Amino acid sequence: MSDQVTTPKTAENGAAPAAEGAPPAEMLLVRRPGSAELDPGKARARRRTLEIVLGIAVPLVLILWWQLAVQQKWIDARIYPAPQTILEDGWQRLVDGKLWPDIWATLKRVVPGFLLGSLAGYVVGLLTGSMPLVRAALEPMLDALYVVPKLALLPIFLLIFGLGETPQIVLVAVTVFFLIWIQTMAAVLAVPEGYREAATVFGANRWQMYRHILIPASLPPVVVGLRLASGMAVLVIVASEGLASPNNDGLGYLIFNAKNIFDNRAMYVGIIVVAIVGVLFSELVRYIGRLLTPWAPDRRGPGGA
Amino acid sequence: MARRRRAGMASVLLACTALLATSCVSSDDNAEGAKSAPSQTTPVQAVAGCEKGWTDPSDLSPTRAPARCAPNTPAAKPLAAKTKIVVTAGTLSAEYLGPLRLGIAKGEFAKENLDVELKQMPSTDAITLLAKGEIDALYSAPEAGMVNAAKQGFNVKWVFGNYSSDPKSKTGVWAKVKEGQTAEQVDLKGARFASLVGKTSIIMYPIERVLSKHNAKVTDVDFKQLDAQGVAQALENGGVEAAWLLDPVWKQFENKPGYVFLGGQPAGEPIGGMLYGPNLLEKNREVGTAFARALIRTVNTYFAGDYKADPAFTQELATVLGSKVELLSAVPSLVTDWEIRTGTTDKAQKMFIEGKVVEAPALTEDKLVDRSFYSEAVGHTGK
Repeated sequence: MSDQVTTPKTAENGAAPAAEGAPPAEMLLVRRPGSAELDPGKARARRRTLEIVLGIAVPLVLILWWQLAVQQKWIDARIYPAPQTILEDGWQRLVDGKLWPDIWATLKRVVPGFLLGSLAGYVVGLLTGSMPLVRAALEPMLDALYVVPKLALLPIFLLIFGLGETPQIVLVAVTVFFLIWIQTMAAVLAVPEGYREAATVFGANRWQMYRHILIPASLPPVVVGLRLASGMAVLVIVASEGLASPNNDGLGYLIFNAKNIFDNRAMYVGIIVVAIVGVLFSELVRYIGRLLTPWAPDRRGPGGA
Repeated sequence: MARRRRAGMASVLLACTALLATSCVSSDDNAEGAKSAPSQTTPVQAVAGCEKGWTDPSDLSPTRAPARCAPNTPAAKPLAAKTKIVVTAGTLSAEYLGPLRLGIAKGEFAKENLDVELKQMPSTDAITLLAKGEIDALYSAPEAGMVNAAKQGFNVKWVFGNYSSDPKSKTGVWAKVKEGQTAEQVDLKGARFASLVGKTSIIMYPIERVLSKHNAKVTDVDFKQLDAQGVAQALENGGVEAAWLLDPVWKQFENKPGYVFLGGQPAGEPIGGMLYGPNLLEKNREVGTAFARALIRTVNTYFAGDYKADPAFTQELATVLGSKVELLSAVPSLVTDWEIRTGTTDKAQKMFIEGKVVEAPALTEDKLVDRSFYSEAVGHTGK
């Protein structure tokens, strides 16, 4: 921490400060450089370490309190199993191979749905963002559809596509589509007019305008949208599998079925695995996003690498 | 200062770890194991009007007449103080809730000094609240969740039944058939089967009975859990080969070429009803008995026979349930029955264990069923 010292500023000729009753003397603020200024690299590393420690310590403390609450019987372990019990149960399920089919079933629905929805949302977002007439034609309808709860569409998709995997994949795709469409359209609309004018001056055709201006300028915010959408995709598939899982599998089915049969351990295992899958999926999307947009600033925060 | 803060954080972590280290108790120690609450029933007195208010639970005859008392009996025995009781049900408009909802509307519970608060909640959520004592009673069935809760030591019990289907009702398993194929020729091995509820429901018991007559076991069938309308549509559009159809959905398949009824709920054997939790099983048994008495009185007064033969009553029932007269009139009256047959929970558990939703061994009936409330209400010793 840098020190601040305030001293009355003496007159330039070195005369004594003004006598009592006179206007206050001008103050001089002296600030010594702190560690961040003296050694920026070390300070950044220290900050990053602190962030990592906090990121681990906060959930760890909560988990420890939960464990303690169960062991001290402050809460009922049959309803809120201890983290240790959940971990042991989850590990046993992994070792026995009972968990993988559910994880795999969920991924088989989430990944294709996410890719389809992202692609469609991006293309439509580019078009509606760059072509006012297309925007005028589609935006009101898409806005209206956007607010429809996506899970409410599941029965309709079941009717249209039958009882297989397709309704689940389409549900994820539709959920992702709207997020990416809005994000892309907003990003394209936010591209400064000067960029477009410069491209026009250089004789860029429509394709070159997309290739060199609109796509690079819009991609960074779209990547942020993709991360949001990845979380939503996992969220929606878990709820959907809980409602109607085609083959009685998937993490959503695991959670809701465990709840139905009062198997709280399995339910919590499912919830934790969903959280892990969600984080990994989001991080994968972030990683791919950074590869696709090396020019974009990192949004990890001040300590970000 | 920063160093002091970090030290503080480390102290919290250390304190937690130390506390954990000093309390090396297995988290499973809370599980008390299935235990049965002692039946501390008050002395049973013969109740006027209820001379035929009891049948032997081991009488499994499909033609057994359900227990009945005279209308307006058993007479009310108001509790000393007005008592609120919270009951939940998965739906509030189903016909089988008629006795409960009409009883509330007609003041039968108020006569017992009971204030019944009825809430809608999925039974899979409500069973946890029942086990924790946050609700008093749950209108459901001895399903897998209830069995597992009992296995984990929670005191939840099935305390009275609800109904069995009228012989004319065709609620149950329906299947698609090829031209010229009869119901007896239907082979359900490997079939896709749609139902509103999955393997965790008591409905698996009657389904298994039907499957066994058609060359299949529960494990041979691919179950699809869909909503009520989805079940009918899946059967109609070929998404499944068989389905469990509820009232009055089966009416749209009756006499329709290509569909046959294979069987439904066992005659004379209720498979659902009221579950009590620790509040009524342990703390306030007299409240549980008063609740049973009011419900039984409502059945005897309004639902003793073919209650839908009276159009005015059907209209009143539809209003109370928030249902439609045409829906109620489309299907036969339910055979209301507050008693619980011997062995129903054994058969249900067999299905749950086969379906891998409950682990063996099965619980004995006394861990899941308590007939003392309705016995006491009608003045029978229960023996």
